[in-house]
Amino acid sequence: MQIHRPVAILSSPRPQPGMGRFHPQRAAGRLGAWLQLIPVAQVLVNLVTIRSLCLLLLLSVAGTPLAAEIIRGADAETGLRKWHLVESRLEVELVQRLPDQTRGFFMARGFSPAIADEIAVSCIFQTIVRNTGNQADAVAVSIDLAQWRVIRADGEQGIRLKEPWIASWPENAVSEASRLAFQWALFPTRQEFLADDYNWGMTAFGLPPGTVFDLDLVWQEDGKVRSTRIAAIECAPDVERLQ
Amino acid sequence: MTAICIRRLLCGLLLFVAGYSAQAGESLTPLPGAVPAPDFELMDTDGKLHRLSDYRGKTVILNFWTTWCPPCREEIPSMNRAWQQLRDEGVVMLAVNMGEDADTIFIFTADYPAEFPLLLDRDGAVIAQWPVKGLPTTYIIAPDGSIAYRAIGGRNWDDSDIMGTLRALQKQREGAG
Repeated sequence: MQIHRPVAILSSPRPQPGMGRFHPQRAAGRLGAWLQLIPVAQVLVNLVTIRSLCLLLLLSVAGTPLAAEIIRGADAETGLRKWHLVESRLEVELVQRLPDQTRGFFMARGFSPAIADEIAVSCIFQTIVRNTGNQADAVAVSIDLAQWRVIRADGEQGIRLKEPWIASWPENAVSEASRLAFQWALFPTRQEFLADDYNWGMTAFGLPPGTVFDLDLVWQEDGKVRSTRIAAIECAPDVERLQ
Repeated sequence: MTAICIRRLLCGLLLFVAGYSAQAGESLTPLPGAVPAPDFELMDTDGKLHRLSDYRGKTVILNFWTTWCPPCREEIPSMNRAWQQLRDEGVVMLAVNMGEDADTIFIFTADYPAEFPLLLDRDGAVIAQWPVKGLPTTYIIAPDGSIAYRAIGGRNWDDSDIMGTLRALQKQREGAG
């Protein structure tokens, strides 16, 4: 906002070509009238200062998430796409994992190529969940992945959870060490987060590479069930689609 | 009048910003109820046996981690810095690796030096006794053997707030002793 200070205004009553004769008394009267405006202008300046301070206050409050905010982006180095949600005390980030990344990870931990591939093409995302609250309010955020829904035009389904997945493998098909690695690499199905707590892990959405879907997230906060939707999430494409 | 209002607003703003900054510090979650820490015995990467109950009388930072967990890797340098400051103050730091072998950890420590003991939980039997959901998770065990604090996810361990909490816990013991 531009402020018209009296000093600037004072220059306007000067005689201009075509304005007629200059009258000193009238000019003095006008000057007096303008000078009376100085306190008014000071109040205006003060009001602007107050407005600026209020803006500063709002900007500092902006660090505390109050409403849903979803940011879509891509990792600067890898180009992998990511979705970042902040709503109330819940912060969730989903980052694409290329099927080949996941294949390599699990094969390096003793999985057979067939099972590593089955995991890799299940639309895996690196997932980070955080409670952004502070210690003073001591409000827990709880999630249960079994309540999250994967929405597509042709229907909806749940997330692929690690417990039934591990149980589906024949006992001799996957070693104990590999099961342990899988158990700890995938995001916990249920978890409670207190202030500053966060966790990361893989989540499997059980869709073919490249599929686009919406995700309905459900969580509990301060004893209340809350939900929100992240639209148009895209599973990472597999190698052949990248070529 | 307006000047007074501005002054009040400025004071309020400063207090708000100061309070908000204080909340943004690193924190540990206190665990009430003095739950006893489950005891265990594990070898470290140098072949030395560590029994948790042997450290009774000291504050123990017990960290669960793996080499392939990004936030675990991220917090190790700050753990090492904290350890360098706390090792002579009666505080113990133990990092329990879940499921990996000594060779993997040895290679890892070339990039992430760790002077504190790295314990091997090859079959995950120890981590299963603790309420760990994800990695890294760290418990602070009070000198009386109870679990005093918990941190889920990585922390900046040489942060002054965290160091103050750890030192206060150890000093309580020294004061009681």
